[in-house]
Amino acid sequence: MDFLFSLLIAGVSVGSAYALVAIGLNMTFWTTRTLNFGQGSLMMLCAMLTAFFASQGVWLALAVVAGLAVVGLLGIFIERFAVRPALKTEGSMGWMVATLGFGTLLQGIAAKYFGSQAVAFPEVVFSASDTVTIFGQPAALQYLVIFVLAVGLVALLELFLGKTIWGQVIRAVSFDQELGRVQGMPVGAIILLSFVASSVLAGVAGMLIAQIGGTVDPAFGFDLVLLGFVSAVLGGMGSSVGALVGGIVVGVLSKLVGGYISTAAEHGIAFALLMVMLAVRPQGLFARPEAVKV
Amino acid sequence: MRRVRSHLSRLVRHPLAHAAVVLVLAAISPLLSDGSVQILCFVLVGIIFAQSINILTGIAGQISLGHAGFFGIGAYGAGILAKSYGLEFYLTIPIASALSAAAAYLLSFPAGRVREVYLAMMTLGFGMIFFEVVREWNDLTGGTMGLPGVPSASLRTLTALGRPVGVATYFVILLLATTLFLIIMNNITRSRIGRALFAIHHSEIAAGSLGISRSGAKQLAYTLSGAAAGLAGGFYAHLVGYLGPDSFNLHRSIEVLVVAIVGGLGSIPGQIISATIFTFLPEKLQVFAEYQFIVYGLILTFSLLVMPRGIAGLLLDPPRFIRSAARTRAGRGDGPPVALRPVAARAPGGVVLSADSVTMRFGGLTALDDVSLALAPGRITALVGPNGSGKSTFVNVVSGLYRPSAGRVTFEGRDITGKPDFEIARAGLIRTFQDPRLVPNFTVRENLMLGAHRLMRGSGLAAALALPSATDEEAHVLKRVEAVLRLIDLEAVADQPLASLPYGYRRLTDVGRVLLAEPTAILLDEPAAGLAEPEMERLSKLIRDMRGMGISVLLIDHHMDFLSDLVDDVIVLDSGRVIYHGSMAGMRQDKTVVAAYLGAEETVDA
Amino acid sequence: MLQHFRTVAVTCTTFTTALVAGPVVAQDNGPVKIGFTGALTGPYNEYGEGLRRGITLAVEEWNKRGGVNGRKVEFPEPLDDQLVPDRAVQNTRRILDDKSVQLIVSPSGSGPTLAVVDMVMADGRPFCNAQAQAPTIVYPNGRDKPPRKNIFSVSISNTVEAEKLGQVLGGKFKSIGVLHESTGYGVSGADLVKKQIAAGGTAKIATESYNQRAQDMTAQLVRLQRSGIDALLVIGLGADFAVIRKNMVRLKIEVPLYGSAGAMTVPFIEGAGDLAVGTYGVNALALGERPMAPLAKSFVNLYRAKYGMDRWYGADPENPQISLATSVGSGFDCANVLLDGVRRAGSTEPERVLKALAETKGLEGVSVKSISFDPSDHTALKPSDLGVYRLAKSGEKIVFQLSAD
Repeated sequence: MDFLFSLLIAGVSVGSAYALVAIGLNMTFWTTRTLNFGQGSLMMLCAMLTAFFASQGVWLALAVVAGLAVVGLLGIFIERFAVRPALKTEGSMGWMVATLGFGTLLQGIAAKYFGSQAVAFPEVVFSASDTVTIFGQPAALQYLVIFVLAVGLVALLELFLGKTIWGQVIRAVSFDQELGRVQGMPVGAIILLSFVASSVLAGVAGMLIAQIGGTVDPAFGFDLVLLGFVSAVLGGMGSSVGALVGGIVVGVLSKLVGGYISTAAEHGIAFALLMVMLAVRPQGLFARPEAVKV
Repeated sequence: MRRVRSHLSRLVRHPLAHAAVVLVLAAISPLLSDGSVQILCFVLVGIIFAQSINILTGIAGQISLGHAGFFGIGAYGAGILAKSYGLEFYLTIPIASALSAAAAYLLSFPAGRVREVYLAMMTLGFGMIFFEVVREWNDLTGGTMGLPGVPSASLRTLTALGRPVGVATYFVILLLATTLFLIIMNNITRSRIGRALFAIHHSEIAAGSLGISRSGAKQLAYTLSGAAAGLAGGFYAHLVGYLGPDSFNLHRSIEVLVVAIVGGLGSIPGQIISATIFTFLPEKLQVFAEYQFIVYGLILTFSLLVMPRGIAGLLLDPPRFIRSAARTRAGRGDGPPVALRPVAARAPGGVVLSADSVTMRFGGLTALDDVSLALAPGRITALVGPNGSGKSTFVNVVSGLYRPSAGRVTFEGRDITGKPDFEIARAGLIRTFQDPRLVPNFTVRENLMLGAHRLMRGSGLAAALALPSATDEEAHVLKRVEAVLRLIDLEAVADQPLASLPYGYRRLTDVGRVLLAEPTAILLDEPAAGLAEPEMERLSKLIRDMRGMGISVLLIDHHMDFLSDLVDDVIVLDSGRVIYHGSMAGMRQDKTVVAAYLGAEETVDA
Repeated sequence: MLQHFRTVAVTCTTFTTALVAGPVVAQDNGPVKIGFTGALTGPYNEYGEGLRRGITLAVEEWNKRGGVNGRKVEFPEPLDDQLVPDRAVQNTRRILDDKSVQLIVSPSGSGPTLAVVDMVMADGRPFCNAQAQAPTIVYPNGRDKPPRKNIFSVSISNTVEAEKLGQVLGGKFKSIGVLHESTGYGVSGADLVKKQIAAGGTAKIATESYNQRAQDMTAQLVRLQRSGIDALLVIGLGADFAVIRKNMVRLKIEVPLYGSAGAMTVPFIEGAGDLAVGTYGVNALALGERPMAPLAKSFVNLYRAKYGMDRWYGADPENPQISLATSVGSGFDCANVLLDGVRRAGSTEPERVLKALAETKGLEGVSVKSISFDPSDHTALKPSDLGVYRLAKSGEKIVFQLSAD
């Protein structure tokens, strides 16, 4: 039983990290139906910069804010230079390639200026040995923070999108940009904001996850964002609840497979799940199928 | 620049230039150092691999982020067959290519169901799974330790029929294989198959309306692409002699995408140039390795913006999609000019197409409510009604885009209810869309060729090898294209890319394209919208010609002036119901019709 | 038409000329050249760049002493493969094509070295393996069969490391868990270590693997815990080792923790922080001994003088990082081994150099204190060249201390 609970707790823990990444991916999906394929690099860069500022003697809280500010600005850059021009062309190839490229570029720059080796990342919230006991098993507070943040964000986003006027505006924009523009909605600003929010969230996720391992390197975030994709697709692109459930399903399933079948299959199972889901129910668990536009 | 480009294009297209490059490379390879020959081998492998993603992503428009998987299946396939089963490379490489093609064919089924970003995810997932399997399946692939000892030309362990095959010989074999592959690839893109793949790329729905099966086209694109990647992988295996999983990771998939984008998606010579540059660059410029990620990142971020058609777009004229041999043959004036033949429709009871009590509901909304109509051969029926009355929905139901909630559609006596759009088009019921759905980078002539797709029967093999039968068929269609061009009066701009032409020309091409399909019935969805007066004249003449050939025409339009002296019957829809069926004159008197139009604040005489 | 043909002809001729220019004939009186490709940039440049510096230091020393047999030693611009096997193959081919290169140092890492080793063997020129750990590099058909004739190794081979770990762990614990990364290094290391531990007297061994840069190892750790281990050995890289250490703390798994040479590195100490204290690991002995052997001492001083106290050296002038011996020192040793072979052979003719190399006896080194080869043994490292270190807190810093255990 302890064995099972350990796996479940670990699964929910890592799953909430995937969920947090997936929520960030969803934000741009709402407004432009695009995903930032370079999200992993934003996670990396934010953690890298924070670690760098902190190592230069900057007060940690300030270093964190500075890191988040930089990735927030990069969010503007991504929207302006990678996504917006590409949306003018038909199909999704343009923005996929451009965001993937921007992520690669950030990775290359980080490797050039901070080196390719893992650098120490300070503990921002709690330390590795802080645990609470759930079902007789220790659960790490560092993961619990992520879980609480993910659940809180989902609740907040559901409320925001469902109940507030701005939420309605965002839904209108996601439904039809042109119509929104005609009706005088600040479409451009909303899209820009969604990229900033998505990037900042990526930064937060990057830091919270980096502190668990204790190091960050230029390739950090890449695997996480892949699993974030899997979670988002599993739950249904654009659905916040879906992202949370998807993340936790991916986390728990991979830990159970790792624990009971083979740790060798732990990593591959998420992608197998992705393929099956896309083949059987591309709209995911929690989203409606998209109508075919003729 | 333009002159340089056209000179270069002519040079690049010239068969003599191809032959010269191949001969010179083959002749000098024994004189070169092993290292130089090996690099040239890598270039050729890179060229085949880049063409592989070019088929799938550049031509058929299906993005792939897991192409290293196909490459890896080819490489490991050849490696394992050679090492564990002792097969020699002239067997292992074709088998490896077939294995990879089979894997790609299988992937095309789930992948064919998803598009855009979901497709990107799926292919990414495929690449990741392949990578994980290779790493963990120790017994077969050697796992993370890799698979050493594959017979290899550069290790001097490669033999064929008991004789050693050195790297220079291997290069010549690889060169011949690459040449053959490129010839086939070139032939295919300039055949009905290649044009169909481009059509899918541009609009799957428009392709369906021409009788192109999107799943069939995708399966073909995946299979061809897989075969090419497997071929590259097989040659790679016998070149390096050691296979490790890290050579087939996501980075490799992204790298080949970079190569393809820089070369110019859709361009064959562009890929050759790009693959050559990307193989030589890191080799000659060691410092490149350090900036590799930055360079790749910059290229991916900005190239589609700055250089959307890559190197090919910069240096060469856009590719064309009809073989010049076919055009020459069509131009030769043997035989009388092909007239547009009258059609003989099977019309049991004088009805070609009939809709019986068709109802279409979307959720709670009833878009079509018990609609029935019948089209007779050689008659033009207008379908009119206020906006949102269900006209386009009706066309979408009949043409197979929507499956009706109730009712039956019969065409030439056969029940076609709920049949997929491409099958209905193949049967000879052709439609157009409110906006002309043509391939913008095709010329008028090439777009018209697409119309004949449903009639072309030449085998894929004939197309790939450019056999005389395929050329004859193309030439025959080209003659009919010529006739249609005369009919729509666009001979002067026949060889200009469509995107460069005004809207009216595009609309005429769109309607003219229907004729090439030799349909028995046509559904035209607002063909006159946005046309100027003279173009409208030409259009109505064209529609009359259609009637003259015995085709049944269903015409949706708002312009009553345009319709009044053209149509034989009128059907009026309002809120999804038929409210009038009869003559044009009768409609103007009908109270229900007038009320419906007044309700929509329009007048019948508008 | 003719115009086109002419253009084609001209293009082709230019192309041919560019390609044909290349091979130079070997000489037995010009400079002695060492060829090298390695991960000079990219995520693994700690190893490749380290080797480059080691070779550079050795070559400068030889030239200060007047070269080898009166011939100048040259270290041409090294090539960069970033630890990518394909690039290593192309680079090595380029090195082999240059007949004026007589000696070659292996790429950093097992993957690229495995990819090129057959090619180098077919070529026959002397080749020294500095860092790659896979045993098949030297002994393609197993340790009991003869080694490849022209491949000599000073690296911490998996075999020797496993032997040492077997000596340390075997018999000391009743049930040992081995957790390794799923790479060539991890997989072959785990296989060998299991045999050695079993030979040392511990029958119960549980094995699990993980992917590099995994964020959570709970599944692996609880599986090992369930099998009742009382010590854990990790074969992998430092950053992942830190994740494992922290994960153990969270799961309250408190058994003695051992790391391979690759795991006990700076990223581990940085990532795990104080949690690293008390961890054991096996690494080269030379830089941990006090006083250091004379050659080790002079190597350390040379390095500090030329490159300063950087990431390879560490911040403490008196106590350079232990890993300096394997990251830089092994390149230094490789160059010395090869040049010493040339010196004794009195020639750069491969056959004679190889014969001399196989007779190397007691050559002093940094990563391996005393380097000897014989025709059936081409690996210099012996278990006695490795020490067991324990990480301990000294003031604010975490340092390697040679452990008696």
